[in-house]
Amino acid sequence: MTRQDIMNKTIEIVYECVPEIEGQTLEESTVINTDTGIDSMGFTLIICRLEAAFDVKIPDRQWKKLYTLGDVVTAIEKRLK
Amino acid sequence: MRFASFEELLRHFAQTTPEAPALCFEAHGEKQTRSFAAFYGDVCARAAVLEKKSFTCLGVLCDGSFACVTEIFAAVKAGKQLVLLNEDCTPEQLAAADADALWGDAELTEELSPALTGGVTDGRGKLLFFTSGTTAKNKAVVLTEQSLCSSAFNGGALLPLKNDDVLLCMLPLDHVFGFVCGLLWGLSCGACVALGRGPRHYFDDCTFFAPTALSAVPLLLGFLLQKNLLGSTLRLVLIGAGDCPQAIPGALKAKGVRVSFGYGLTETSSGVALSLGDDPYAMTVCPDDEITLDADGEILIKADTCMMQGYYKDKTATAAVLQNGVLRTGDLGAFDAQGLLHIRGRKKEILVLRDGTKIFLPEYEAALQPLLPGRDFAVTEQSGAPVLMIFGEESERETLTRALEGHMRTLPRGQQLKTIRFVNSPLPRTATGKIKRWSIQQKEEAT
Repeated sequence: MTRQDIMNKTIEIVYECVPEIEGQTLEESTVINTDTGIDSMGFTLIICRLEAAFDVKIPDRQWKKLYTLGDVVTAIEKRLK
Repeated sequence: MRFASFEELLRHFAQTTPEAPALCFEAHGEKQTRSFAAFYGDVCARAAVLEKKSFTCLGVLCDGSFACVTEIFAAVKAGKQLVLLNEDCTPEQLAAADADALWGDAELTEELSPALTGGVTDGRGKLLFFTSGTTAKNKAVVLTEQSLCSSAFNGGALLPLKNDDVLLCMLPLDHVFGFVCGLLWGLSCGACVALGRGPRHYFDDCTFFAPTALSAVPLLLGFLLQKNLLGSTLRLVLIGAGDCPQAIPGALKAKGVRVSFGYGLTETSSGVALSLGDDPYAMTVCPDDEITLDADGEILIKADTCMMQGYYKDKTATAAVLQNGVLRTGDLGAFDAQGLLHIRGRKKEILVLRDGTKIFLPEYEAALQPLLPGRDFAVTEQSGAPVLMIFGEESERETLTRALEGHMRTLPRGQQLKTIRFVNSPLPRTATGKIKRWSIQQKEEAT
């Protein structure tokens, strides 16, 4: 799976979890809080869905370090078998 | 019933309702329960081990597990001072609390162990909770098992749970609201406390544990409601630790769930007032507590049984807020004709987020100052989240976002700026240059 594949799937899941931002352009550099307005509960939902979709586990302590969508993609990429 | 210690509480129910479930939790994918008698036995056995250890102050990295809860009660029974911490705790916090031993996640424990100190000589019965908020200056509040038990008694006196109730504990135990209203309230009523499984299970904990009661912060509750995750067994929700939009109690009532709001501080071992009637914003003062209002409306609390001993090793900070047993809260309130308390806002420059976290705005802004040199800005609140208000133009958004990125990455997610709002005129300030926060907030609310 390429990084772009992961990014595309991530964007799809973000839209599913937070339908109110659907249509908004999401890029690797998109800052999750300020650019999308996703709150911490919405973020938790997204990470849990991503973990299930990619069959990976991102340690809770790493969550707060995921600042941009690119950070999320990197965290998944690192853990993909 | 009022208890003077955790051991007295557990022993009482171990003797009177030994087979009743005290705790319910997940182990190996299965739901398990531990009776009061069995749990009291676990605590006594572990305390016997801890008594032989030479350490004097145990830092507990709270993960909400059964082992964590057992360790807390056992360490207190063994006469150790406890400091309750979360995974974001800093070495400075650990050192400030004089912890000389750590319990919790092995990797984190190893990482933090260089910060351990020489311990204490007079820590028996003391539990230290850090005030929630930005980490730089949050203070360790010295509570006791007696003050925490008294607070739980107050809650149970106004909102009793029965022994067939299941109270779901989804809040962190290092936060006094989570510890008292998520755990002790249930146990002191002889009810079963279901230990939530952390953020990954916010989505299915209510289905898994089928709780009848829940303590929650507005942010979590709003999410559970929005996603319809509260389950069908719930009959009572206690909301605390942050401003709550009116839609939340309304939606809960529509589901037939009783709603109560709690008001309290870490310094008062959690709640000092709870709402009991139809209006969740109108609160009855708890039995042990006295609340008066200062001339400017500031809430003053006298709570002999629940009051903190002080801020740990900080007499100056203690004396600034606690005089003759009366705590100056920095919160503004009013009493209605029925004598019920209504919270009106904050006097201090503090923003209380919907997850219960407090942000000390001048400190938060001072950290942004070097990143936004010469700019006219302030941090304010929108929908329970911090927002940067800055005199400037929309075209600067990208540049400013990048300028702030490094600092934002160091903050817990809930404390990161939710958005940047541009204003086309300088921010209102007093003659001495202080930001007129209320003026900004009122303008925001009007738009």
